[in-house]
Amino acid sequence: MSSLILTIRESLRYRGRSGHISWMAHRVSGIAILAFLVIHVWDTANAHFWPQAYAWSVALFKYPLIAVGELVIMAAVLYHAFNGIRITLLDFKPEWWMHQQRSATIVWTIFLVLFIPIAIYMISGIFGHCSELAAHGSTCWQIPPFSDFAKYAN
Amino acid sequence: MAAATSSQKITVRKFQVHSNFERFAYLFMRMSGVALLILAVGHMLIQHVLNSSSNLTIEFVAAQWDSWGWKVYDILLLWLAIPHGINGLRNILEDYIHNPATVKLVNRLLALFVVATVIWATIGMALFDASRFQ
Repeated sequence: MSSLILTIRESLRYRGRSGHISWMAHRVSGIAILAFLVIHVWDTANAHFWPQAYAWSVALFKYPLIAVGELVIMAAVLYHAFNGIRITLLDFKPEWWMHQQRSATIVWTIFLVLFIPIAIYMISGIFGHCSELAAHGSTCWQIPPFSDFAKYAN
Repeated sequence: MAAATSSQKITVRKFQVHSNFERFAYLFMRMSGVALLILAVGHMLIQHVLNSSSNLTIEFVAAQWDSWGWKVYDILLLWLAIPHGINGLRNILEDYIHNPATVKLVNRLLALFVVATVIWATIGMALFDASRFQ
């Protein structure tokens, strides 16, 4: 545990530039994806095992704060995917190691070019969903009660 | 004779390779990573950009899982993503856990978790009956 705290502190202080930032971003995005993935897999399995719980959790995912989390996962998946390909290519091509820094810049560029328009589109979707509910006198800031989904009970 | 031996010190290091697991794990991370570039990024783009969580319902899931094509896509994604993610977590944890007994215990728990999750979710998807929600 103390080594973990030491790592977090020194990771923020260490001035390893692009390689260090890539290493941290890969780990942090990986942990973020895994945390969501585990919840997502067990939750989605409920579509078969416990449909009422699944229908309720689908309603929960429309809550604006969770929609922002969805955006974070989108960023994490895109960065982790392209940086992972960079790691794989460099692992199998040692003769490219002189391009470490440039490859990291390319990955960040691809990530930003893809993520920025997707983020704008997803954020406008959240606002669209909320304003549509508001037009019907409802609100997106309210999670429907579990009992609303009793029709899906086994 | 004894003097000659002591002047020619040869270091003999016995190294026993227990298993090739780490090598397979290393290769698996890279191979599954390439596959997940298509499967996982594709999943994010299809389900979260082309479709959206804001109009997701269990009926929409049923419409997708009415075809074996979507079921196979999601089962393949599950089989690659869960071991890839948990092995990544194992790599990170091994940087911070120094007690070999604890490492062994954590590895066993993670392996158990992978098996349980993959089996449970595969059964859930394979047996999912779309007609119940249509």
